[in-house]
Amino acid sequence: MRKTQGVSRGEPFAFSVDGDAIQAYPGETIAAAMLAAEATGFRRDRSGRARGLFCNMGVCSECLVHVREGDVSRRLRACLVPAEPGMTVETGLGE
Amino acid sequence: MERLDVVVIGGGLVGAATAFRLAQAGASVAVVEAGYPNIGASGANAGSLHFQLERRFLENGEALADQAAQVLSLNRLAIEEWRRLDAEMGPDLHIHMRGGLMVAETADQVRTLERKVAREVEGGLDTRLIDGAEARIIAPGLSEAVTAAAYLASEGHADPKALTPAFMTRAQTAGVQLLQGARLTAVGSDAQGYRLTVRRGEADIELATRKVLIAAGAWTGRIGELFNLHLPIYPVALLMNVTERAPPMLEQLIQHVGQRLSMKQAHAGNMLIGGGWPSRMRLDATGRFDLDRSAELLTPSLAGNLGVASRIFPPVAELNLIRSWTGITAITADQTPLVGEVPQAPGVYVAAGGSAFTLGPVFARLLARLILDEREDRLSIFSPARFGHLNSFMGGRLA
Amino acid sequence: MSSSLSGASPDYDLAVIGAGPAGQAACLSLNGALRIAVIDEQARPGGQILRQPPRAFSVADWMTGRAYRGLKARLAAFEALSNVDFMGGRSVLGLREAGGAWTLTLSGPSGVEEVSARRVLIAGGCYDLAVPIPGWTLPGVMSAGGTQAFIKSQQLVPGKRLAFAGSHPLQLLVAEQALEAGGEVAVVAFIQPFSTLVWRAITRPWAALTHGAVLLSALGSAWRLFRAGVPLRFGRPALSVEGQGRVSALRLGQTERFECDAAALCFGFMPQADLPRAAGLQVTPARPGGWKTNHDEWMRASRRGAYVAGETTGVKGAEAASAEGALAGLAVALDEGLIDQDEARRRARPWRKAREAAMWFSALLEAVADPGPFSARLPDADTIICRCEDVVLADLQAALARCDEVGSVKLATRCGMGACQGRNCEHSLLSLAGEPHSERSAFTARFPARPVRIGDLAAR
Repeated sequence: MRKTQGVSRGEPFAFSVDGDAIQAYPGETIAAAMLAAEATGFRRDRSGRARGLFCNMGVCSECLVHVREGDVSRRLRACLVPAEPGMTVETGLGE
Repeated sequence: MERLDVVVIGGGLVGAATAFRLAQAGASVAVVEAGYPNIGASGANAGSLHFQLERRFLENGEALADQAAQVLSLNRLAIEEWRRLDAEMGPDLHIHMRGGLMVAETADQVRTLERKVAREVEGGLDTRLIDGAEARIIAPGLSEAVTAAAYLASEGHADPKALTPAFMTRAQTAGVQLLQGARLTAVGSDAQGYRLTVRRGEADIELATRKVLIAAGAWTGRIGELFNLHLPIYPVALLMNVTERAPPMLEQLIQHVGQRLSMKQAHAGNMLIGGGWPSRMRLDATGRFDLDRSAELLTPSLAGNLGVASRIFPPVAELNLIRSWTGITAITADQTPLVGEVPQAPGVYVAAGGSAFTLGPVFARLLARLILDEREDRLSIFSPARFGHLNSFMGGRLA
Repeated sequence: MSSSLSGASPDYDLAVIGAGPAGQAACLSLNGALRIAVIDEQARPGGQILRQPPRAFSVADWMTGRAYRGLKARLAAFEALSNVDFMGGRSVLGLREAGGAWTLTLSGPSGVEEVSARRVLIAGGCYDLAVPIPGWTLPGVMSAGGTQAFIKSQQLVPGKRLAFAGSHPLQLLVAEQALEAGGEVAVVAFIQPFSTLVWRAITRPWAALTHGAVLLSALGSAWRLFRAGVPLRFGRPALSVEGQGRVSALRLGQTERFECDAAALCFGFMPQADLPRAAGLQVTPARPGGWKTNHDEWMRASRRGAYVAGETTGVKGAEAASAEGALAGLAVALDEGLIDQDEARRRARPWRKAREAAMWFSALLEAVADPGPFSARLPDADTIICRCEDVVLADLQAALARCDEVGSVKLATRCGMGACQGRNCEHSLLSLAGEPHSERSAFTARFPARPVRIGDLAAR
């Protein structure tokens, strides 16, 4: 849930998470935009259960997602990386 | 004091597996391990089952290659041994024998492969030289840079974390006594064999035994000193890399004929990348190589190893590296393993010096026969007798 | 990967890892001298305590509390320094020393790069102690520190209705911040009885007195939460989280259940110790878990040219971190010959006093917040301990029964072999294996400290 009182953000844009368009504001991390959209799953564990992000400071690696920009695909920690217009994110939960 | 038939020094793969085979045959056995079972190279290696001639046997001239060709007969036995293990010990060892490809990029490398395959076929191994296109049908992730490959259907990989504990558990069930956290500190001999002093915690334990097997990996040379022996085993520190888990992308073991590379996808999904890139051993307070501390990562090795891997198998480039680790293993003066009885010290056997994951289980089976005085010629090319001159000035057997 | 040629002079005089209060203070106490690189995983400096909103946000009244005033002034002064290159959005994967220079391998938006410096200050801060409870791997369960960081920086409450549970009083502050930011708070639950919390505080009256303001702010938060109708619970050690596919409730024992769509766990903090350990610096076990890096009175670590400050040396809060950072900066100035012993000592005096005072309070907070050893309050046997590899408590207990060596358990169970390299589970396993232990008998810290794309590291 974004705090709105006393906060002004730039123009929102959309990026893709598991094929769904998710709204983000400039500077927001992938994780923040996902949580604001109530997308709480970031990966599947070994038994196929959904897992969420835990530490939000780059330590736990629970929020590693596939991020594709242009031709390059990376596995990045969603809590550290700002969302960008046109970015494609895959959690593995969409399959 | 009751006298044991055999004391094994070292709770790694060869030690655990030989102890098991000996106990199966009715011998009384103790294993003395300074740390805990599988703490050394047996647990830290990357788990390749490579039966093709290793690159290192081809890069040091024909002499070594000829000698290495003799290894092929043992490799054939090892293939059978691993097939038996899969049936004998169950799925927890994650033995995957789905083929191995040793790839080439340049024309020179292809010529080396041709030579190698010819030698292997002569030695009874059904290696096949295939072109790049066929290699990519077998392993679709291979890049266009691969122009040819030597393919051996029986190669693969297994889980080094599981293998030694599996042997050790079975050994203990069969009556083997495991002394862990126990260091051999002194050795004496008598008419019936050897008397060993082992320090565990604050206590000294005395063991009397007819025979001793030194299977202590990189520590083998130092253990040898306690027996007044030179054992030409040299510790070397290697780099290995592991990615996070990935969807299935590689069934085979990949090696490179002209570059240091071994690559496979472990059962859990992680890609393992190694192939003999060096790390640097640290020195202890006395200025000797410190075998108890992890070796230092060398950045050029890291970049080099990951570079070859990415070039040969591009899908791996997109994965995250989660850990690079260094492990200390051992090589002999002539790069051929040292396995057998030491002529100057009757009743002292040694097994160390390379390829001991792939060959460990078969070494164990044959060594057990040798130790039990059964006729066993198949280890003769590995006999320590070839270094006999090193011990000709040592004054012979301990009193 | 670029690499500095051997013999070439290092890129910087000093590399500072971490742009929190410690790193900032070190740079500030160097008075504009030296070429300094400051590296941080976040895009902007501030550390977790002042985790700044993105530049594209405009936030009225950001972090206006009195406790933050001095820290904000120092952050502003740090951001104005012209001799500092701030390298944000970059993770330090590893560091190595050769020929009198430290080389840091970094990964960032443009791939992997290297930075070299004659000296390095590790001030990497801390992270939440991950205490396993049943259900804690359900999406929506987060650390309290991470929850607070979302509120501070991203101006986001990570849920509509949050439940807080743990042992650390910080959760009162975060719960209040969540409430102020427009969230609902279902409950704030402590595993300790209220009497224990109070007793631990009053047995350290000096610290309680000198830091009355901070204690009052925690009490104030508790009061305001209470007035807002938030249930406060004490003495609830049997925590668990329920949900199907995501958290739906926090359960306190058999009887009490609080519905929520997010849960924040707050059991205290551990130093970020991967880099000091991988660099071979000497460390000591820390309470309530993890490793603190050893140092001398000038914050020099056990290897030449390496300094440590802030939570790296043991978690004790932003004020102590600032003081240690300033001391480390003075030590660098002293070792560089920029100032003499007398000046260093004179300028260090107020920082040493500030550090001493802050340490009193951190000792109090540590005692109050101590969750106690993990082995003394085990969760259900099927609770996941190693989040990366899904290793449950029963797996660890079975492996420990065979061999109580941590390394052996790791090999047997894969505990600690995942993407986080054991940062979340090592302390739990060590506790199960029995204390005390040395760093040598624990997991080996390995390169890379953070996951990095193979293609970025590979030689081309």
